[in-house]
Amino acid sequence: MAIEVIFNIILGLLIVFYLFEAMQLPNIDNTVDVLGASGFPQIIGILALLVLLVISYRVVREKKVVQISLFNVRLQEGRLLLVNIFLLAGYIALLSILGFAVSTLLYLFIAPTSFGYSKWRLLTFFSVVGSLVLVSVFGSVFYVPLPRGIGLFRELSYLVY
Amino acid sequence: MDIILQSIDAVFNPLTLTLIVIGTLFGIICGSLPGLSSSMAIILCLPFTYSMDPISAIVLLVTVYLGGATGGSISAILLKTPGTPEAIATTFDGYPMAQNGMAGKALGLAVTASAFGAIFSAFVMLMAAPLLANAALSFQSAEYFGLGLIGLGCITSIGAKNQMKAILAVLIGLMVSTIGIDSINGMERFAFGQPFLLNGINYISVMIGAFAIAEVYKNIERYYQRDTNLRTEGKIAMKLMSFRDMAKMWDTFLKGSILGTLIGIIPAAGGSIASLIAYGEASGRHKGEKPSFGDGNPRGIIAPESSNNAAIGGSMVPTMVLGIPGSPVAAVIMASFLIIGLTPGPLLIREQPILLNAIFLAMIASALLLFIGGRFVTSQFAHILKLPYPLLGTFIVALALVGAYSLKNSYYDVFIMFIFSLVGYFFDKFNYSNAALILGLILGDLIENSLRRQIIVGEGSLMGFVTRPLALAIIIVAIIAFIWPAISKRLKKNKT
Repeated sequence: MAIEVIFNIILGLLIVFYLFEAMQLPNIDNTVDVLGASGFPQIIGILALLVLLVISYRVVREKKVVQISLFNVRLQEGRLLLVNIFLLAGYIALLSILGFAVSTLLYLFIAPTSFGYSKWRLLTFFSVVGSLVLVSVFGSVFYVPLPRGIGLFRELSYLVY
Repeated sequence: MDIILQSIDAVFNPLTLTLIVIGTLFGIICGSLPGLSSSMAIILCLPFTYSMDPISAIVLLVTVYLGGATGGSISAILLKTPGTPEAIATTFDGYPMAQNGMAGKALGLAVTASAFGAIFSAFVMLMAAPLLANAALSFQSAEYFGLGLIGLGCITSIGAKNQMKAILAVLIGLMVSTIGIDSINGMERFAFGQPFLLNGINYISVMIGAFAIAEVYKNIERYYQRDTNLRTEGKIAMKLMSFRDMAKMWDTFLKGSILGTLIGIIPAAGGSIASLIAYGEASGRHKGEKPSFGDGNPRGIIAPESSNNAAIGGSMVPTMVLGIPGSPVAAVIMASFLIIGLTPGPLLIREQPILLNAIFLAMIASALLLFIGGRFVTSQFAHILKLPYPLLGTFIVALALVGAYSLKNSYYDVFIMFIFSLVGYFFDKFNYSNAALILGLILGDLIENSLRRQIIVGEGSLMGFVTRPLALAIIIVAIIAFIWPAISKRLKKNKT
C-alpha cells in the first residue's frame, strides 16, 4: 500500500504543478474563445486531482499490497530489472558519444550477460550481426542519420553508414 | 473500375506481396510467443514503414495485426499460455483439446475461424467505411467532440480493469496532449522554453516506451519465474477443417464474426473484448453440447478466434474514417497513417481511393496466407520457443530505440520513450491502463480543439452541443459509455 500511496503523492504533485502552470497561462482577449489556451488544461487538471483523491482513498481503505520488485534489490528479478534499466539509460547516454553502431554493439553484448547468458560465441555473433543489421537497414537503406558520436567514433562511423 | 484495377496493381505486385507474406508470418510468430503481442509486433515494424509508400506501409501493419491475432491461439492451444490478450478465451477449450490428443485439429479450427473472421470483417469494412465517411462529412466540431468522448468512455469502461484508474490514465494522456503550441491561438503551453516541446510530445515515442519497452521490463521481471518446461512435443501437424464440419458450425462462425466486427467498430474496444464476449455467447447458446465448454468444445475455439480477427476489419473503420482508433492496436496503425502523411478522417477515402481497397485485398490475401503461415509456425513452434529471451528482449529494445530516434532523428524522442517506459511499468504495476493513457494522448487534440471550435462557432455558447441532434445523441452515448460499469453493476445487483 505504502508504495502506491507514494506513487499517488508523486502523481498528485505533478498534477498540481500542471494546474499551477495552466493557471499562469496568459489570457488572450478573445470573447468567443471562452476557454482559451488555459481553460481545457485547468478542467482536466482539476478532474485528474479529484479522480486521484478517490483512487487514493480506495487505496488506503483496501490496503492492497503491491509488489514492485524494482525497489527490492534483494530479489534477483529486482536486481536484473534495475540493471537493465540502467543499461538502457547508459545505452541512450552513450549514443551521442560513441555513436549508434558502437553503443548498439556494446548494448547487445552486455545486456544479455546481465541475465547470466554465457554462450559467448552466439552472443558475439548476435551482437555483431544484430548491430550490423540495424545500422545497415536504418543507416544505409532508410537513410536515417543515425547518431555518429564524437571524435574518432564520428570519423569511423562514416566508413559504415 | 479503374480504382479497383489500380488497387489490384498496388497489392499484387512483388514488393507488396512480399510484405504481406513477411507481415503475416512475422505477426504469427510474434503472436505465438508469450511476451510479444500484436501491438508490440506492429510497433517493432513501425520504423521500417517510415520511408515506405503509404499503401505498402499500411498493408504491412495490417497483415502483422492479422497474423498476430491468429498467432496468439497457437501458444494458447499448445501451452495454455495465450500469446496475445485476444487469445485468452481460446485457451478455455483449445488447451483441453490439445490435452486430448487433438492439438492439430484445435489449431486447424483456430486458423480456419481466424481466416473466416478476417475475410468477413474485410467485406464489412469495404462496405461500411465509405458509408460512414459520407455520414461523417456532415459532422462538425460538436460531433467530433462527442466521438472523442465515446472513445475515451469505451476505453475506461469496457476496456479497463479499474475504471477510476483508467479515467485518471486518460486524463494524464489529455494533459500530456496539451504540451506544445496551442493550435487555436498559437500560445506556447508547458514547453518551459524547450524547442523540442513546442511541437508537443510525439505519441509514437510514448507508445514505444509504454507498450514495447515496458513489456520488456515485465518479461525481465518474470525471467526467473518463467516456465523453463515450456515446450511442445516435437512437430505438430495442423489439421484443417473440412467444409462439412464448417457447415455444421456455420452459426458460430457467423455470430463470432458479426460480434467481432461490431465490437471492433466501437472506438477503443478491440479483439480481446470481442473474443470473450463471443465465447460467452457461444457457451451460453450451446450449453448442453458434448464435449462441454471448457473440456474441448470446437465452438469454444471458433467463437473467440473468428471474433478477434473480425475485430481487425471493424477497428479499421473508425480508425480510417473518423481518426478515432477502434482498438489500442489500431491506435498504432493510426500513428503510422500520420507518419506517412495520411490524415485519418472522412476525406481520407476520397483522397486515397486505392487505400481502402488495398487494405481489403491485403486482408483477404493475409487471411488465406494464415493457412500456410499457421502450418509453418506450428511445425516450427518447438524451435521458436527456444529463442533465448536475453537476446530477443535486448534486440527488441535496440529496435525500439532506433524506431523512436528515426521518428524525427531526435534524441528527445528517445528520452521520451525511456521516460514513458518507466511510466508504463508503474502504470502496469498499479493497474492503470497504458492503452487509456495513449488514447487520451491521441484524442486530446481532437477533443480540446473540437470543444473550443464549437464554442467559438457558438460565439461563446455551449448550446451548439445540445441544439445539434446528432451531436447531442453522440454525447449521450459517450456519457452512457462512461457510466456503463455503474449501470451494469446496479442491474446485476437488482437481478440478484
